[in-house]
Amino acid sequence: MNGVSGKKSAASRIGHLFVVIVILTFLLLPLLVTFLFSISTVWDHTILPKGYSFDSYAALFSDDRFLLALGRSFLVASVTVVLSLIVMVPTIFIVSLYVPKLERWLQSVVLMPFAVPGVVAAVGLIKLYSSPPFAISGTIWILIGVYFIIILPFVYQSTRNSLRSVNAAELMEAAEVLGADKPAAFAQVILPNIMPGIIAASLLSFSIVFGEFVLANMLVGGSYEVVQVYLYHMLGTDGHRSSATIVTFFLLVLILYVLVLKFGQRKPRTAVTSDAKEGNPFELRPDSKRVEKF
Amino acid sequence: MSFVRIQNVSKSFNDNRVLNQVSLDIEEGEFVTLLGPSGCGKSTLLRAIAGLNAIDEGSISVGGKDITNLPPKKRNVGMVFQSYALFPNMNVYDNIAFGLKMDGLKKHEIRPKVEQMLSIIDLKGKEASYPSQLSGGQQQRVALARSLIKNPTVLLLDEPLSALDAKIRRSLRNEIRLIQKRLNMTTIFVTHDQEEALTISDRIFVMNHGRIEQAGTPNEIYIVPASEYVARFIGNYNVWSREQLKGLPVHGLPEQGDMFAVRPEAIRMDTAAGDNENGVVADGKVSYVSILGNVLRFEVDVAGLPVTVDMLSGQSIEHLSTGTPVKLFIPRDEWKSIQKSS
Ligand SMILES: Nc1ncnc2c1ncn2[C@@H]1O[C@H](COP(=O)(O)OP(=O)(O)OP(=O)(O)O)[C@@H](O)[C@H]1O
Ligand SMILES: [Mg+2]
Repeated sequence: MNGVSGKKSAASRIGHLFVVIVILTFLLLPLLVTFLFSISTVWDHTILPKGYSFDSYAALFSDDRFLLALGRSFLVASVTVVLSLIVMVPTIFIVSLYVPKLERWLQSVVLMPFAVPGVVAAVGLIKLYSSPPFAISGTIWILIGVYFIIILPFVYQSTRNSLRSVNAAELMEAAEVLGADKPAAFAQVILPNIMPGIIAASLLSFSIVFGEFVLANMLVGGSYEVVQVYLYHMLGTDGHRSSATIVTFFLLVLILYVLVLKFGQRKPRTAVTSDAKEGNPFELRPDSKRVEKF
Repeated sequence: MSFVRIQNVSKSFNDNRVLNQVSLDIEEGEFVTLLGPSGCGKSTLLRAIAGLNAIDEGSISVGGKDITNLPPKKRNVGMVFQSYALFPNMNVYDNIAFGLKMDGLKKHEIRPKVEQMLSIIDLKGKEASYPSQLSGGQQQRVALARSLIKNPTVLLLDEPLSALDAKIRRSLRNEIRLIQKRLNMTTIFVTHDQEEALTISDRIFVMNHGRIEQAGTPNEIYIVPASEYVARFIGNYNVWSREQLKGLPVHGLPEQGDMFAVRPEAIRMDTAAGDNENGVVADGKVSYVSILGNVLRFEVDVAGLPVTVDMLSGQSIEHLSTGTPVKLFIPRDEWKSIQKSS
């Protein structure tokens, strides 16, 4: 019995490994080739390039237009994420603890971006924001505005789960009985405990904004060129150079995701309450009903 | 005037009346217990005293001061939650110091008080541990210390021991009682465990559906239950109605009363009738015997009516085995007439 199941699990492990390898190859091969191309000098009728050099990277990082676009992307992403946290974290906290009746509404509003395809949103937004009184099309403001909406679901879900897993309602009560007013209790007790979730949400949102192309291209395009759009414009010119851009861009986003995974899986010093749960703050929990018992 | 005075407090959640005209008075330094089954409103009452639930009617005053409408932070009551609710981001020291910090005390004023508290709860050397690194019992002590350090006017304990295993539960219970006596801390303790209530309290308030059913010392509650509800809730009382006893081989029933309660250890049992001038006599047969430490518990069948009888174990009752026909004798003053509960 044991032997059979052992054999079976070994076989299935090999099967799993095989699938993983195939998928990874499928995903990484183009990148590898792109990287090779970006550091090659001549590569036309040979299997591997004839010579290697990092010239295209040197050129890329001395191109002001690239650095500027990179800076813009960072700016847009940072402002959006910070703004979103400042607005949404207190809102989610107040709604989920003190006005749970509004929670369903908040949830549906927040999930809206999933229902609207990027292109549709872009066309609508351009129409609305191209003429006074909101003539902000083509500026950084429309980008920040639209990204704010796009990252809502991620900020919401992770904040909500963190609040739930630390049993925020009871911690607030304990702090208040000990003489804290609500703002102090929030700042000193709740915030530090949901921080890991918030950091993870920020990084994820940041990399989503950083990698978004459709809206960036359609809403502002060349008038406020972010790195995604720069990359797109590069594609038509020097092949080595655009490959270098792609690889650089990919590495940046990869770093962000690694950070997300790191923070997302870090075990917080969990609340020692009877129903505390640890784990990834992005885990979607289907039950949205409040079951806290007093 | 009493130190804690709760007058006609009512509270409903939606249409569910959870507290119904509750009144109780507690003296300074007293340790009282709210005892009742799950859902009877114990926590709701405690939370009302702490200011965590607004009440619909009535008033609450502590130390002569009306606190009915004050926010929690202005009440200076201490509260220990069933799930401890320690702050996971703070170590033991910071958890205990939190209340004083909120009161605006300086660091050097806080330190000696925290140290004193740590020695009272016997957790010296654990200052730097985080709650998740402590055992359940240790966490509960920290929760206790965190509340006591502010020298609250009244300490509220909401089933503080229910998450612990039986042994730690008993020792921590005694410890809480000792600390409470030492600090002369007015304390309201919530539990649904009658044994816990009987051992720890100066006075017990038995609650039933948002009302106080009976108040009294543990002895009073145990010896003279006021109603069927209390008798059934406390211990293993035999509770019978007059109808149930009709037509059974039971003699000497009093004229008065519809509902009766008899403690199992008050019943005398033997194979032959003894002195039965003043009491109730019944004929039955032993149907089951179990050993509870130094006590033997007999289930006796009196023509279909089950009767529980407790006797100290010993050689004199070895002959009372399963199937033995027996005579039961209940002294008149142990045959309690009680109020019927709906
Ligand atoms: N916030 C709330 N909203 C609605 N109903 C509530 C709320 N809090 C308590 N209740 C209801 O009030 C009743 C009494 O609850 P309470 O928590 O006071 O009981 P309890 O005696 O402490 O029980 P337990 O021993 O299980 O803790 C229950 O029926 C409960 O459903
Ligand atoms: Mg309760």
